[in-house]
Amino acid sequence: MKPKTPMEIQVDAKSALPVYEQVKRAIKLAILSGDLAEGDRLMSIRELALKLRINPNTIIKVYYQLEVEGFVYSRPGAGYFVRLDPGRIQQESRKLFEQLTEEYVFQAAHLGYSLKKVAEEIGRKQSRGSQPIAKGG
Amino acid sequence: MLEIKDLSFNYGKTQVFDGFDLSVPKGQVCLITGINGVGKSTLLRLIAGVLNPDSGTIEIDTGTGEDPRRRIGFISDEPRLYQSLRVGQAIDFHMSANDLKNFDDTLLQHTKLGSDQRIRELSTGQKIILHLSLILSTEPELFLIDEVIHSIDAYLRRLFLETLIQLLSQRRITVVLVNLNFHDIEHIIDRVILLKSGEIVVDESIDNLKAKVKKVVGESPPQSLDILARLDFSGHSEFYVYPFDPDVAIEDSSRIVDLNLTEIVTAFIGGEYA
Repeated sequence: MKPKTPMEIQVDAKSALPVYEQVKRAIKLAILSGDLAEGDRLMSIRELALKLRINPNTIIKVYYQLEVEGFVYSRPGAGYFVRLDPGRIQQESRKLFEQLTEEYVFQAAHLGYSLKKVAEEIGRKQSRGSQPIAKGG
Repeated sequence: MLEIKDLSFNYGKTQVFDGFDLSVPKGQVCLITGINGVGKSTLLRLIAGVLNPDSGTIEIDTGTGEDPRRRIGFISDEPRLYQSLRVGQAIDFHMSANDLKNFDDTLLQHTKLGSDQRIRELSTGQKIILHLSLILSTEPELFLIDEVIHSIDAYLRRLFLETLIQLLSQRRITVVLVNLNFHDIEHIIDRVILLKSGEIVVDESIDNLKAKVKKVVGESPPQSLDILARLDFSGHSEFYVYPFDPDVAIEDSSRIVDLNLTEIVTAFIGGEYA
């Protein structure tokens, strides 16, 4: 069994997203991006609550929902572990990608750029061969 | 865990509570806030049994079957206990008075408190941590915390908060805290209660409250949304609305801004003073 994987999660007090939703999304992102691998143990409820300085009840809610949604499984007495279901990962990644695209297009539109301009800009980046921004960057 | 029914209390001619009800389930972290003089600290003192109600009942069920008063940890903003003793003497006295054996001095080690230091010479923060250590030794089920968190420095505040989080995860303690400054503590709060003249005017889970209170920045007030408070600047105004409804259309030139708990409570309180 691998040791617990440290996770960098930022909780934003101003966000409209409830804290449990923020933590849940961060863990999902870590799983979908491969930062957390199959079988990795999540930090214990107490550890993560202390690290983020949030109510342990919030972490319990997050882990429970992640389990219901099939991202983790629990082993009584041992903790919560990452479950990788390739079909599901693909589908969830797609969902997240669509969300991010929507947010980006919305912001571009807010600045006055049309969809056509957005597509042109992406095309230009591609032809320049720019690399996606490194994780965590 | 805590059931307050039809509570009435007055200081002489000043009626603080009149038919007040409140129920707090086990494991909940409940924040009580409101402007000064609204009865927050009085309520904590009534729950702690330091004050007696004129009428009504306050029931505390710790599930242990013993006298519930033994399982209440009340941390006041002005800890005055054992002023004439040294730290070690206070600990010995506390342990024998409560018939306890093992004192956990982890917190005191963190704060570098020596057993021969005089309590009256300690800083407020050190007194609060000492008080917390003494309280922890009685394994309280219900914590009552009165405005202490912002009267201590950042390091001790963190220590205090981490201790609470440990207790929440180990023993599902119940916490009722009174505060006006939430910077560090907002993520441990489950429920927010706003008092006004001894009555509950807001009682929401923190997630609901954040969804329901928003700031609308624009030239004119949003139609068909109730405004708690407004701030005017040259060219635009900020409107704090409650309850916010995401389905109500606002003007294109307006913007909706999410708020943290301090801003939300300030909006409610600002509205009260206006």
